[in-house]
This record gives sequence, C-alpha cells and structure tokens, in this order.
Amino acid sequence: MTETDTYYIERCLDGHPDDFRYIVRRYQAVLLAHLAGKLGNKDSAEEAAQESLVRAYFNMNKLQKPESFFSWLLGIADRVAKEHRRKEQIRRQQQAIRSFSQEACPPYLTLGRRAVSPPKGKAWTGSDPTSSGSQDYSLEAAVAELPPDYRKIVLLRYYGNHSCNQIAERLDIPLGTVTKTLSRAYVRLRKSLERQEQKEFYEV
Amino acid sequence: MNCAECKEILVAYLEGLLEEPQKQSVAEHLKDCQPCQDEVKELINLRERLVDNGKVLAQSNLEDEVLDRIFREQNVRLKAAAKVSKSLQLRKLIMKSPIIRMAAAAVIIIAVLIGIHQFGSGTVTFAKVVEPILNAKTVILDLIIGCDETNPVMHEIVVGSRIRRTMSNMPNMVQVLDTDSGKMLVLENEGKTASYVDIQGTVQEGTKNYVEFLRQVIRQVQDGRVEKIGEQVIEGQKAIGFVGRSQNEEVKIWAEPKTGHPIRIELKIGQMSAIMKNFKFDVQVDDALVSMDVPDGYQLKETTFDLSNATENDFIEGLRVWAEVLLDGTFPETVGSEITMKQMPVLAGKLQQMNISEEEGTEMAMRVARGMLFHQTLETRGGDWHYAGKGVKLGDADKAIFWYRPTDSQTYRVIYGDLRVEDVTPEGLPR
Repeated sequence: MTETDTYYIERCLDGHPDDFRYIVRRYQAVLLAHLAGKLGNKDSAEEAAQESLVRAYFNMNKLQKPESFFSWLLGIADRVAKEHRRKEQIRRQQQAIRSFSQEACPPYLTLGRRAVSPPKGKAWTGSDPTSSGSQDYSLEAAVAELPPDYRKIVLLRYYGNHSCNQIAERLDIPLGTVTKTLSRAYVRLRKSLERQEQKEFYEV
Repeated sequence: MNCAECKEILVAYLEGLLEEPQKQSVAEHLKDCQPCQDEVKELINLRERLVDNGKVLAQSNLEDEVLDRIFREQNVRLKAAAKVSKSLQLRKLIMKSPIIRMAAAAVIIIAVLIGIHQFGSGTVTFAKVVEPILNAKTVILDLIIGCDETNPVMHEIVVGSRIRRTMSNMPNMVQVLDTDSGKMLVLENEGKTASYVDIQGTVQEGTKNYVEFLRQVIRQVQDGRVEKIGEQVIEGQKAIGFVGRSQNEEVKIWAEPKTGHPIRIELKIGQMSAIMKNFKFDVQVDDALVSMDVPDGYQLKETTFDLSNATENDFIEGLRVWAEVLLDGTFPETVGSEITMKQMPVLAGKLQQMNISEEEGTEMAMRVARGMLFHQTLETRGGDWHYAGKGVKLGDADKAIFWYRPTDSQTYRVIYGDLRVEDVTPEGLPR
C-alpha cells in the first residue's frame, strides 16, 4: 500500500491484476466523494466508482503519465458520471411519460424535479447527532461544485487521508499553496452550503 | 496581528503546521477577538463534517467487487476469443509461440517439495547412508510426483545451489534453477528461445528446501530419529528401510545395506507423495549445464514470469481456467501436484489452439501455476482441505468443490461451483 501509483500500474500491466487492489484501496473513498456529489446518492456513486475503476484498469495501457493516475481517474469518473446522469434522465423521462399515460398526470410536475428528494443537509453550525453514519448530501454536492484544483486538494485531504505535507509532495506544489487553497475551498464550501440551506428553506 | 493576517494563516494553524512564534501570536489574537474565534468554530465544524463524510464513504469497500468485475470481464474477453476460434474450426496451431509452453514448464517447478519439518523419533542409527549425500558436490536423481511409477519423471542434476531439470513429458524444455538468486532460466529447444522466471519467495524456499531436504533426511537417519522397517528388495536390489514420521510428513528411505547408498526415497506430504530414485553422487558435471546464462544460439524473450505470490484468488482463477480450457466446463477429478504435472503440457497445447494472444495465454497458464502454488502451500503447512469438485459443472452454485481452513481461522473458506467463496463454520461444511 506504500508503493507509488506508477509501481502498481506497472505491476498490473505486467500481468498482476491483483495489484489493482491497492489502487482501489487508495482511491475508493476519494472517488466516492467525487461521484456522490455529482450523482446525489451513495448507491449510484458506488456503481459509478466501480465502473470508473474497471474502465481505468482496462485502459491503463493508454495512460501516458502513470504518475498522474489520480487526475486521469477523476477524468474517467466525470465521463462515467455524465453517462449515469444521462441514463437516469432518460429513465425518469420514460417513467414520467409512463405515469402520464397511465394516470393522466401532468408530466411537467415530475420532469422538472429530482425523482428522489435528497436527505436534508445538516445545518451549517451545530451537528445533528441522529444522522451520523448517513450521507451528507449537501456537503457532497458542495464539494462537487468546487473548481477542479480546489476539489482535488479537498478530496485528497479528507477522503484520501493525506496530510497537507503529503498533498504538497504528491501534487508537487508548495505547502503554503495547499493551506491557502484549502482556506479558499472552505470559503466556497461554506457559501454553497448556506445557499443550499436557504433553498431548502424556501422549498419547505 | 490583525484579523486579516490571522485569517490568512488560520488553516495552517488548525493543521498544526505553524512554527512556535507564529502559533503563539495566532493564539494571542484569538484570545481577544470574538469574530476570529467564531471563524475558528465554523472551520472546525466544517472540517468535522468533511471528516465524518469521509468516514461514511470509507465504509464502502469496492475492492473485491472491482477485482471481481475485472476478472469476469477478462474472462468474457477470453471466452469471446475462444468462441471465434471454435466456430472457425481452427484446429491447427495458430501461434507457434513457445512462451505458453514455457509458462507451463514454469508451473512444474512448483511440483517440488515445499517445506519439511521434524520427523518423529526412533532408535536406529545409520551413519553410512549419510556420507555420500552429505558430502557429494553433485547429486543426480529422478523425481516422480505421485506414487505411480508411470507418472512423468523429472530428471534432476543438483550442483550446489543450482539444479538442471528436464521432464519426460515435456521433452523440449530445460530448466536451470538458481536457488540463491531465486531465478530460473527456461530453455525451449525447438524454437531456441530462453526466458527467465522469478521464483523468489515460497518457490525459492521450497526448491532450496528440496535440495536441503535430501541432506536433512539423511541427517535425521544419522541422528537416529527414524524407525527401522527391515530389509526388502527394492529396484532389483536388497535394501534396508527406514521410516521417519511427523504430523504432516512421512519419509521412507531404502538404502543398500553394505554401502549405505540410498536407492529410493519415498515421501508423503499431506495428500501428496513423491518418489526419488536412481541416485548418483559426485558425477562429473559440465558447468555449462547449470549455467544461468542464455546459451549461444538462443533468443532471450523479454517476458519475465512471476511465481512469487499466490493467493486464494489465483487458486480460484486457476480452477476456472482448468475447467474451461481443459475439461469443457467441468472441474477436474482431483487437484494437486500430481495431476497438474500430468496435465500442464495438455493445458499448454489447448491454450495454443485458442485464438488468444500470447499474453493472455501466458497469464492463464501462470494463473494455474500460482493457483497450484497456493494449494501446495496449504498442503505443506499441514492444511486442512478437501476437494469435492469431481464431475461438478462450472457455474453450479449449489455444489461446494473445495474447502480449507486458513491458518488460525475458526471457519472454513468454501469455494462453490460458481467460484464464489463463503466463510462456513465446521458444522456447516458439506458432507
């Protein structure tokens, strides 16, 4: 688990598919966080994360720079998420049309809204003890909205369990840039969380 | 310090990355500044929320699922390739690649004896048997896996830590093993190709032990920790027999009564057995025969095989390949070194007939090899295992084909006909 990505990738390409296990272990939480925000629920995120990892495995020989595996993987995940959303949209439209034809219910009511309403986000201050262990949808959505450079660092810090020093080393940037980026990312996260809460407030 | 300065380095402060004087001044500022204190609270809250969410997500384990999908998909790809070859009735060899055959040969290296422990105690000494083996610079012998004399024979020339091995059922293949460096050189005479195999780890140890094994057996005899079993005619000559036993092993040695020259050694490790015979000691051996260099006229292949780590997954995939490629979707009668030794050349031939790439064929052969290594490791550790796959069709989810108890485990790992694995208590085992 301590070897570099490049090492494991070469092992895989050398005919040791089992070593892909270490890559999965390293990036699963990060990928899930990335995808949970984009897809809005954990089951879809898990499905998409699996799909992304399998795709990455079978396309590994096309990876030009093994040391930038992580960014490459996020790119694959973005494409998978897009496909999932498109599929989901088609499924929902079909469902809407079906329910329209069966129950003569106006389609626009279901079309415009999310099929499954997300669980309530936690209030920005104060925590909700009952929701521990469940999904924090608002937070994931907020992370998904971050600009890519910010998001990468937040993902590595909180979902990849890297220290700031490790992130600096991984991404080859100064330590000060890591903390400053985190600082800016926090500001954005807070803003978008506040915005979501207001929206929910109005929706109620 | 003012609020702007404080905010600038607050994250570094919370991450514990500040030097003492800076840390101090942030702390000072926070003491008197309510807005900055609130800011800290908010940041800590956000961080906690991120950490919590990270923990929730870390609970999912995609590892097995993803690897499963990869193996399944790889199999589908291989099957699709195999179908093409069948439908076109391509019965002739599509590739004359020696690589797959080499991989097959590499497998056979595992058919040596991995690990041998203490024998039981006895009373008789037999010092004379010891001398030739303990002191010999070279030992030549024949090794048969199983107790059937008609099984394939491995002819072994042991010189120090080097072994030159040829096999009666793969006449064009020569292996030279260097147990010091954990490397094996495989030579294929027909296509004049050479290849190196990494045998570090278990296989290296096993092979080393195998060389050491002969000597150890004899030392045990010398130390009197074996039991005399009397005289008998063995290989057409009068011989005196000794037997040594331990929990998982049993060793019988037959030697010429006068000279102590060993005639035949029979070994049982768990459910596996082997025969060694036709010993010759200190015969002049040309150094070139055990050289690790590629001989003139041979072309070195880039591929390096790896037999260093074997897992349960390898064993499962090995069973899959075995059933799919060799037996049209039925599991073999038995598993173990003996049948592998016999069937590897057949497997190699079948793989060559399939319309798959060299890499894929090699990967499949190596899977069988590692799978078998996993099984043999179980065996030599005195493992508690059972095979019940005879006649079971691949995909039959109701039938258990193999189960074993991992070291220190209370439960058994049970593999079913659809190759899923479950943890089962001893009471829940199939009859």
